[in-house]
Amino acid sequence: MDSNQKRFVEDALDLLNELDEGLMQLEMNPLATAPLEQVFRTMHTIKGGANMFGFESIGQLAHQLETLYDLARQSQLQISDALISLTLHAFDKVRDLLKEKDVAKINDPEALKDHLKAAANFLKEVEAGSSSDLTKTSITIHKDELATFYLQISPSINITEDGNHPLVFIVQDIAGLGTSKVILTKKHSGEVLHWEVFITTTTPQSELESYFIFVENECAVKYKRLLACDLFEQPQFVEYLNTLGAQSLDMAKIEGFVALRKEACDQQKDEDNDESANNASGKRTAHDSYIKVSKRKVDDLLNWISELIILQAQLTTTASSIQSAALADVTEQLEMITARLRDTSLEIGLVPVETLVTKFKRLVRDLSKQLDKKVNFISEGSETEMDKDVIEMMTDPIIHIVRNAIDHGIETPAERRAAGKSEHGTVKLKAFNSSSYINIVISDDGKGISKENVLRKAIERELISAGDNLSDEEIFDLIFHPGLSTASQVSDVSGRGVGMDVVKQKINDLRGNVSVKSMSGKGTAIHIKLPLSRSIIEGLLVNVADTRYVVPLNVIERIDRIPYADINRENKVCKTVVVNEEPLTVLSLRQQFHDEVNPPKTTDIISVLVNGVKKGIAVDKIEGKMQTVMKPLGDTYKQQDFISGSTILGNGNLALVLDPARLFSLTQQ
Amino acid sequence: MKKTILVVDDFASIRDFVCDTLQRKGYQTLSAANGNEAFKVLVEKATEVNLVLTDYNMPDCTGFELLKKIKENPDVKKVPVVFLTTESNPEKMRSAKEAGLSAWIKKPYRSETFFAQIENAIDNG
Repeated sequence: MDSNQKRFVEDALDLLNELDEGLMQLEMNPLATAPLEQVFRTMHTIKGGANMFGFESIGQLAHQLETLYDLARQSQLQISDALISLTLHAFDKVRDLLKEKDVAKINDPEALKDHLKAAANFLKEVEAGSSSDLTKTSITIHKDELATFYLQISPSINITEDGNHPLVFIVQDIAGLGTSKVILTKKHSGEVLHWEVFITTTTPQSELESYFIFVENECAVKYKRLLACDLFEQPQFVEYLNTLGAQSLDMAKIEGFVALRKEACDQQKDEDNDESANNASGKRTAHDSYIKVSKRKVDDLLNWISELIILQAQLTTTASSIQSAALADVTEQLEMITARLRDTSLEIGLVPVETLVTKFKRLVRDLSKQLDKKVNFISEGSETEMDKDVIEMMTDPIIHIVRNAIDHGIETPAERRAAGKSEHGTVKLKAFNSSSYINIVISDDGKGISKENVLRKAIERELISAGDNLSDEEIFDLIFHPGLSTASQVSDVSGRGVGMDVVKQKINDLRGNVSVKSMSGKGTAIHIKLPLSRSIIEGLLVNVADTRYVVPLNVIERIDRIPYADINRENKVCKTVVVNEEPLTVLSLRQQFHDEVNPPKTTDIISVLVNGVKKGIAVDKIEGKMQTVMKPLGDTYKQQDFISGSTILGNGNLALVLDPARLFSLTQQ
Repeated sequence: MKKTILVVDDFASIRDFVCDTLQRKGYQTLSAANGNEAFKVLVEKATEVNLVLTDYNMPDCTGFELLKKIKENPDVKKVPVVFLTTESNPEKMRSAKEAGLSAWIKKPYRSETFFAQIENAIDNG
């Protein structure tokens, strides 16, 4: 594949996401012209590019589908579920093909054969049953630039309505730009006196005018912008046009309809105002301009900045030992700028979670069809930004959660009716930032997780004993247990892919955590919390026998200081100590990895939440909270997976970053 | 006699596609990959070519530059020029019209519109 082809593939994959989005909007609103235009344009670009860069079969497929949507644009074809499904599946295949790195494979004529055939058959059916209907009334909903225009086009030459003059087609093209009605008035001789066009469209007047630039010697055109909303929503107006017959238009009446519509519209707009105020920040990002930068350059930049942060910390340490006011001043300013540079550079690698959201819209749509359930998908905060790699790593786990929500959470329409809920279930994906974390909440309003079922299964499989007294949180956390999660996925839908234990594992790998809330009959919410950056971590710096460790801050629950003697009993590494008047399983790093020469008088117990259970890590002394850059340790230390990386401190020393979950699983073996 | 159209587009696939479409409708076609090449072909075969159908955005010599070259050359200035383009900026359209452009066909086009505009441009110059 040459570099042009690679670039095309990358662009095309983006375009395919846009296409999905457009198709989804179109499905919800089959009469709207804006998404239809977007779908058509996107397909056209894909077609042009595919042909241009030698992916003929993709070009051919895009062309065939484009033909169908072109018919829809000309109102000769109704947008139907069947058409949208056909298109989605076809472009899914295209997406898979484009991900192949091999041009020969992409161009394999067999690969798209079925989809080509399906599209061709669809077209045949349409052509067989088509009756062209140009006096369409479709409904356009576009809050921003929508306006209704009145155009009067009077040819200065003699042409007939079915003549081959460009003007005839220009009028048709104009009518195709939105919801429209064309009224033709003929001279006695049968030739066109004038066309009068009412059109509700998002196309600005200047663009409407541009259609006539090259025929301005052959016609005179009058434009009137009637109002900034859809006049076709005024029933009296539509009725008036339909009953007009051979009479000429009474503009006074039209003005009356305009006034009526305007009043209704203004009211609507007031209601929408609040909403648009909330969207202001989203709009700003949309208007930002973008450049494409290779991922390698961004990685390099981040790498150098992480080096800078380490050097900065060293400089601060050195400067404080020198005690020069001038140096301290400069160091302080440098520290501030380094911090800003770090924040900005971290943002560079972030992309909106929107891409993820589009995928889920698809998934929800396909699944709910497959399972005969009615599900609405709502996303909130899709402009929230996340690390691109993290988005990629989280895609499968979240897909699994959404699948579960639809498969196990949302009830069938009949069940929902019986429970007094609306037939349509809702799956909601909400993303938001909080300090240095990204939060993703996937919730549904289905039947919720049955605590009894979970407990029963857990007891059956001997994960817990019948007498255990578990909190709600602990019970729900059991669904992530490898012994429980995989086996419960019996249905065809959720059975594919990863189990809940893998979901949890992936989130842990990213140093995030996940919690479940569920109410019987009301629904389930799964809350995923991920650190903003994979390489910069917030942690607690601790000291154990002259070795420094970093404990990630996100898992820490509380810190207690107890006499060292309390944990220095029996010769066992893991033991239970009473901390804060509760028994706690404590692992002493000193006893585990160091000798017990010169033990400290007290020990700090850091309570961490591991797989939903509170456990303690005993360290000699806590030195403080720090934000630092994590470096991988390299292959030699791969086996020591309880250490997730290392970091260099201001004084040049090394500190090891602990992975608490793995640390405790290590001692259990 | 068949009418000959000179098709100018830097992307071969699109150029070939347009040529095919025109040939199926009974036109003869010549093709060129950019404005400079097109102008050369046109000057050589000034008597044969009935219409120049060109893209707007092309490297080296854009459609607009080609248009100006054609309209400034007494030997070929009578040949009508039509743009086939995704560009739809009214100001560009206006200045192209003033420079002597016969028609502006927006991509994606409907085939009736396309052929009506071409026919009209050939007939009326």
